[in-house]
Amino acid sequence: MNRRRMFLRMVTASLLRRRSRMLVALLSIAIGATILSGLITIYYDVPRQMGAQFRGYGANMILLPGDGGELTIEAAQDAMSVIEREQLIGASPYRYVRLDMVSRQQSFMAAGVDFEQVRRTSPYFNVEGRYPENDREVLVGKFIADTIGVRLNGVMELTYQPAAESPSEGLREGGFAPGEVLSGGAEGWNGGRVYVSVKIDGDGFIESVEVDASSQTPEIGGACETEDFTSRFIGKKLPVALGVDVDAITGATVTSAAVVEAVNNASASAAVAGSKTINYTVSGILDTGGDEEGYVFLSLDGMAALAGGSGSLDVMELSVSAAQDELERYASIINEGGAVAARLVKRVTRSETAVLSRLQALVFLVTAVVLLLTTICVSTTMMAVISESRKEIGLRKALGASDGGIRSEFIGEALLLGILGGASGALMGFAFAQLVSVNVFGSSITFQPMLLPVAVLVSMAVTCVSCLLPIKRAVAIDPALVLKGE
Amino acid sequence: MYFRMIRGALFRQKGKMLLIAFTIALGASLAAAMLNTMLDVGDKVNRELKAYGANIVVRPKDSSLLGTIYDAEDGGGGSLKNAYLREDELGKIKTIFWAFNIVDFSPFISVRVELPGGDGAEMVGTWFNHRLDLPTGESLDAGVIGLRSWWDIIDGEWIDENSPGARNSVMLGALAAQRYQLKAGDKVTLSGTAGDIEAIVSGVFDAGGDEDEQIYAPLGLAQELGGLTGRVSSIEVSALTTPDNDLARRAAQNPAALSVRDYETWYCTAYVSAICYQIQEVITDSIASAVRRVADSEGAILDKTRFLMILITALSLVGSALGISNLVTASVMERSSEIGLLKAIGARDRAITGLVLTEILITALGGGAAGYFLGFGFAQLIGRSVFGSAIEMKVMVIPIVAALIALVTFAGSLPAIRMALRLDPAEVLHGSKA
Repeated sequence: MNRRRMFLRMVTASLLRRRSRMLVALLSIAIGATILSGLITIYYDVPRQMGAQFRGYGANMILLPGDGGELTIEAAQDAMSVIEREQLIGASPYRYVRLDMVSRQQSFMAAGVDFEQVRRTSPYFNVEGRYPENDREVLVGKFIADTIGVRLNGVMELTYQPAAESPSEGLREGGFAPGEVLSGGAEGWNGGRVYVSVKIDGDGFIESVEVDASSQTPEIGGACETEDFTSRFIGKKLPVALGVDVDAITGATVTSAAVVEAVNNASASAAVAGSKTINYTVSGILDTGGDEEGYVFLSLDGMAALAGGSGSLDVMELSVSAAQDELERYASIINEGGAVAARLVKRVTRSETAVLSRLQALVFLVTAVVLLLTTICVSTTMMAVISESRKEIGLRKALGASDGGIRSEFIGEALLLGILGGASGALMGFAFAQLVSVNVFGSSITFQPMLLPVAVLVSMAVTCVSCLLPIKRAVAIDPALVLKGE
Repeated sequence: MYFRMIRGALFRQKGKMLLIAFTIALGASLAAAMLNTMLDVGDKVNRELKAYGANIVVRPKDSSLLGTIYDAEDGGGGSLKNAYLREDELGKIKTIFWAFNIVDFSPFISVRVELPGGDGAEMVGTWFNHRLDLPTGESLDAGVIGLRSWWDIIDGEWIDENSPGARNSVMLGALAAQRYQLKAGDKVTLSGTAGDIEAIVSGVFDAGGDEDEQIYAPLGLAQELGGLTGRVSSIEVSALTTPDNDLARRAAQNPAALSVRDYETWYCTAYVSAICYQIQEVITDSIASAVRRVADSEGAILDKTRFLMILITALSLVGSALGISNLVTASVMERSSEIGLLKAIGARDRAITGLVLTEILITALGGGAAGYFLGFGFAQLIGRSVFGSAIEMKVMVIPIVAALIALVTFAGSLPAIRMALRLDPAEVLHGSKA
């Protein structure tokens, strides 16, 4: 009992007495432990943090309709429930429909999407203007915008024509449903577009016409909005001919001709059964440098309003922050269900795994090199500390202390330094890793409880091992020589 | 006398000085290794990110994507008429200002072909490993083998354009192979708008995308089938780029609006927009655009990786600095009796300080030089084992390491010398305070 108290007192006293020297040793051990725990934390966190960055490449998993079935949002959400919530960056539904712009005799693919989710799954979308905010706004791919010549905040009239078995089958012969309203547009003065809504009566005659000529010069083309002009269409049969059925307004012939063309466009677009036309505002132009530039994007609800049939999707793009093997596991679980088929986007998952493993190997090697060098630095400091106390060792030996006693005292001292330095270093290391994470990746990391004992054990081992050699040398010396000061 | 004293100190206390030199060498090697790695890591990761494929697409000015969007057949007339780029200009891509940064590129042309007993399929003509002799005398293997690193060859092998039979070889996507019941080694007759060709299936690939339904063939074969000799419809370019900044974004809008100085900075930096601009200069009637999915993510990842490495490097620099100054302080304190003796025989404080500092600096110089080379070795170890290529030696690391070592040794030894000088020589020599 007494012995043990004496031992403890000697160990603590020597630490306290040579305070500055020991502080220096403690500091170097703590720094070593800081580097160790900081780098290990970063090493384990790199895949997760970098993985989030890699989501910039877009969706890495897609959900498709299962065998013969159809993909609904509910079914997709059901399938997605196997993926852990915090791993799911975004889930973007897509529904593709071919739409026409009758006035330009163009047809292109339109994608019905949820813009909120698109922003998450496709962060590389570069939108000039802004994303659509309601069902009447569209995002137009740059190539379409360039070809058709639509501009930001311009209007696009999109027509949906249900697929007919043969082109003639769907055509209605002149007769439109009573009270049906057709809409169309055409280019007027100086590139501006005029829009019309045409109401048809039961016998297929024009009942009324409304004109939007706000893009034209108000004093000249604006006259086409007046009843004086629109009344000239009433009672006429489609298509109308300028100069025959309807006379142009003097001085505004270009706009008048545009209105007539727009009315005829409206009838042409309505010539197919079940077709529908809606005017949309272009809220943004999409520039990606990829195939997306050839699409028109509108909201799912907006698409349902035009083409009907809501709830059914063509594909669901998922952006999941997980490694490839984990993604494969999710995909196989989803595929087992059968209702929905999951596929990995190979281009994204494969490359991500390759690059991430390289990065992790980099941090690992850097950690190893740094650890090796700091270990050596810590040991040289410990050596210096011990060789300084040669005189003390000599004195103790002269007073009759055994070699074993001296050895265990120094090792005890080293262990104490290791515990203190290791514990404080582990905490500082976590703080450092947290700093890195917040600054570099903008997100915090969780503390690994295992790190504390590991850092303490490693620093204890390093201090102990680095003590052994100098202690052996110190114990071997002749007390008389040391005390004499030689 | 001064030199003799220094020499004496260095050689008499060989063991002690060696220990200091060793510690300094370790610190310096850590600093040098981390700095070298940090400066080169951007370039290395950039090359790794090339796995995502091309970051620049070059298309003819007039046709844009219309052909693919509308599934329009050739000859429809009107605005859907297809425009093409010229095959003979492809080599010029490797002559632009940033030619060295162009890692890989490949032309593409797509034609429709008919297979016996099946309907039409899309055939893509391209380069696989096209040997390109550059005006500089170097040569380069360019093609889709590098640009489509995620493809799995599930049957047979890639077409080797240097082999004699390559001219009439094709590769099939997994779904196309399944549909036409073809496997590697089979013969198949392909009919295009301009003739029939009997080709051998060299391999079947699984791309996990639309390409699985397509047939890939050497450029010449596809051109012949489609009657489009000497033409290509797009070029994909994979280039090492610098992440965009404000200047690059402004330049991408309209390079002509920049001031002369900004324009030169922009043109001579490897921004993706600058490389696009230079490609447009050499390829007639072309529009080169950045593939944002690849280019943007690349920039973000590169920035993060660099920043991460900077922080890790800073941490290791602090670590090595503290390690060095620790030991230097300890070694000066140990010599307090020697300093006391010098004072007792009448040496001035300044002379003593100069003496001790010179000794330590000479030791530091030796240790630092050894450490730099050791550190460079560590950097190579990291480069070889992680990226499989050597890490470039950066000259700017030498002054940084030298300045760091000098600063740290000064900072470590000066306070200790001051403390030793403040001691009373009598007490020190007596040994009661040591």
